Amino acid sequence: MSYSVLDTKKIIDVIKYRWLWLAISFILLLPGVIAMLWSVKTYPTHTPLLVGIDFTGGTILQYSVNKDISTNEIGKIRIDLSNNNIENPVIQILKPATSENDSIKNIISIKTKFSKDGQNETIDEVTKVISSDYPDAQLVQVNSVGPLLGKQLFVNSLIAISLALLAIVIYLTLRFHFEFAVVACLALFHDVLFVVGVFSLFGLFYGTTIDSLFITAILTVLGYSVNNTIVVFDRVRENLKFYSKKATYDEIVNASVNQTLARSINTSLTTLLTLGALYFFGGVTTKDFVLVMILGVIIGTYSSIFFANTLIALWNDRAQAKKAKA
Amino acid sequence: MKNKIIMFWAIVILAIISIVIIKVKPIPLGLDLVGGSRIVLEAQTTANIPTIDNDTMDGLKAAIENRVNALGVSETMVQRMGERRLLVEIPNVADPKYAREIIGETAELDFKKPIIENGNVVGFESSGLSGEDLKKAEVGTDAAGKWLISLQFNLNGAEKFAKLTREFLHYPIAIYFNGENISQPVVQAEITGGNAQITGEFTHDEAKKVVDFLNAGALPVPAEIIEENTVGPTLGADSLHKSKIAGFIGIAAVMLFMLIWYRVPGLIANIALIIYSLLVFAIFKAVPVTLTLAGIAGFILSIGMAVDANILIFERTKEELKSGRTLFTAINSGFDRAFTSIFDSNMSTIIICVILYFLGSNIVKGFALTLAIGVMLSMFSAITVTKNLMHLIFGTGQLKYPAMFGLKESDINQAYEAAETEREKAKFGVLD
Repeated sequence: MSYSVLDTKKIIDVIKYRWLWLAISFILLLPGVIAMLWSVKTYPTHTPLLVGIDFTGGTILQYSVNKDISTNEIGKIRIDLSNNNIENPVIQILKPATSENDSIKNIISIKTKFSKDGQNETIDEVTKVISSDYPDAQLVQVNSVGPLLGKQLFVNSLIAISLALLAIVIYLTLRFHFEFAVVACLALFHDVLFVVGVFSLFGLFYGTTIDSLFITAILTVLGYSVNNTIVVFDRVRENLKFYSKKATYDEIVNASVNQTLARSINTSLTTLLTLGALYFFGGVTTKDFVLVMILGVIIGTYSSIFFANTLIALWNDRAQAKKAKA
Repeated sequence: MKNKIIMFWAIVILAIISIVIIKVKPIPLGLDLVGGSRIVLEAQTTANIPTIDNDTMDGLKAAIENRVNALGVSETMVQRMGERRLLVEIPNVADPKYAREIIGETAELDFKKPIIENGNVVGFESSGLSGEDLKKAEVGTDAAGKWLISLQFNLNGAEKFAKLTREFLHYPIAIYFNGENISQPVVQAEITGGNAQITGEFTHDEAKKVVDFLNAGALPVPAEIIEENTVGPTLGADSLHKSKIAGFIGIAAVMLFMLIWYRVPGLIANIALIIYSLLVFAIFKAVPVTLTLAGIAGFILSIGMAVDANILIFERTKEELKSGRTLFTAINSGFDRAFTSIFDSNMSTIIICVILYFLGSNIVKGFALTLAIGVMLSMFSAITVTKNLMHLIFGTGQLKYPAMFGLKESDINQAYEAAETEREKAKFGVLD
């Protein structure tokens, strides 16, 4: 008994429900896009995300404290700092503790503006205020960035992302076809838009700011997402070679997606296992970075299964229709 | 088969070499893990020096290096960064404030002579004697045990100082440091030996700081701190500890998953993963790659991606087995078919790493480098280690126990027909 590619067990029918998949993508992306537009309109920086000192310039001081800090206490710290000539302090409590035995229980993070000459005075002033309420407080991290440097980083980041996209289009055009390259890039755009949108929402609701590590994480998401998409396209390419006479384009795409489904899911699972370990047990500094990656892996898996293939089938349909007309 | 056994031993030897390298060489840890200061300085133009050229930057770098060395901590680094910037890294620094002070100040020493009108001192002006005329400075104590700074001038300086003390005998001289009057002694006698002492209300630390500055030399131009990142040693140790735990849990979870889902091949993939980790760490140490928090994240991420190649191969091999192939041909074609997707997908990741490496900041560079090394080695480990072990363990016969692959008896011969070209058939060893 002989089976052909068309007999592949179909767990998911990407072709039949193509409009459903596109609608799901639309629903997933919409809140983030709205948040980004709202942010551009309302933030003083006019950026789609709440940007941190890496981009705007500023100083962040972090103190370790061995007790829990209530919202009231945060308010008191803010008033005390303002009374001591610290301009617009932004105070956050980071919780790095994973067990009772940890040496560091809580971290108070204080953001203020970058001061060119009075850096030491600013730090002394803040340390004095914090120590008066928390005698065991220890300055564990100082992070400060001049305003000009921040702008450069922003420009460099945009250049890096544009170059990465361009390089991928060129590589995929050489190894596959132009249409695969375009669709892969649309899938990348889809994934990045989703992750950026989620962080835009986080910025609006939780005051989450993005730093240069965020850009790195986004670029890694790009790499991971194109990785996933390529594996499915590679299968389409192979099946087209053997079955293009026996089966329709849509059937081949559908079969390819289902043949690679186990791999797509298992690879994402193993990556998510390591990312989950980093998120729950790793250091506090890389938490947001890991969160970007987790969101990126999930949406990247979705887009490589549903979004990219729906688009490639649609592209082919239109090309066929044009041919038929001519 | 002989080739396979040679290959097997080659892999074993490679693993042993890796273990030796890991044991012997220490891995340099980044400032975010050991604690320390990372400071970016930008040279500022002045009225006298309107443009910053290479010579100015070299002078600035030398002066900063001298100062940083005076801190007495090991593995400090001062590096040019672009046209006008210096990157300074000081690990294990106990007091970040001191580091900031010691590299940020110009350290101008200026002896000012009095302006005398009608026998009265009405002000001070520069005498031309400055820090450049010094041979060395030392911290000392006077007879009463008070801290003082003793100066020794060079020939030129000694001459200037003798002239100054002769001319203004019984008048005060003002000594300015960084534009601040630190002492104003009255000249008691002409001093010709080229030695001078600055007394004042100094603590030992204050005196020591001025001495360090004077010995290191003044900066040719003022330098401004435009970026600073200081991590305390407790936070660094905490991050390192947590990253290790996260790494072990992550690897263990992935291994467990592979074992449950892919059975015997999963076990092989786990062995390949261990060899992969050994190779990665050996290369990190051999290069050497400074391990940062982002770098560790890159490595742990690459483990998730390293098993991807194995997953691709195993899924493909399973398909080939389902279509009724013998083990040998199924493994061969599984590898060969999976290779194009492994290659293309990893190439795209490497392209992104290259872009990150050349455009990114220092933190980003570390991440890109570790991820790129990880991706390249993962291809190697999947293609050589996994394939070799698969052939050695499963041999060439029919698949007797489908459960070894996590397959059921009923799965076999249920997949689509295997389509391939004549060339591929020859390559995989298909006989029909």
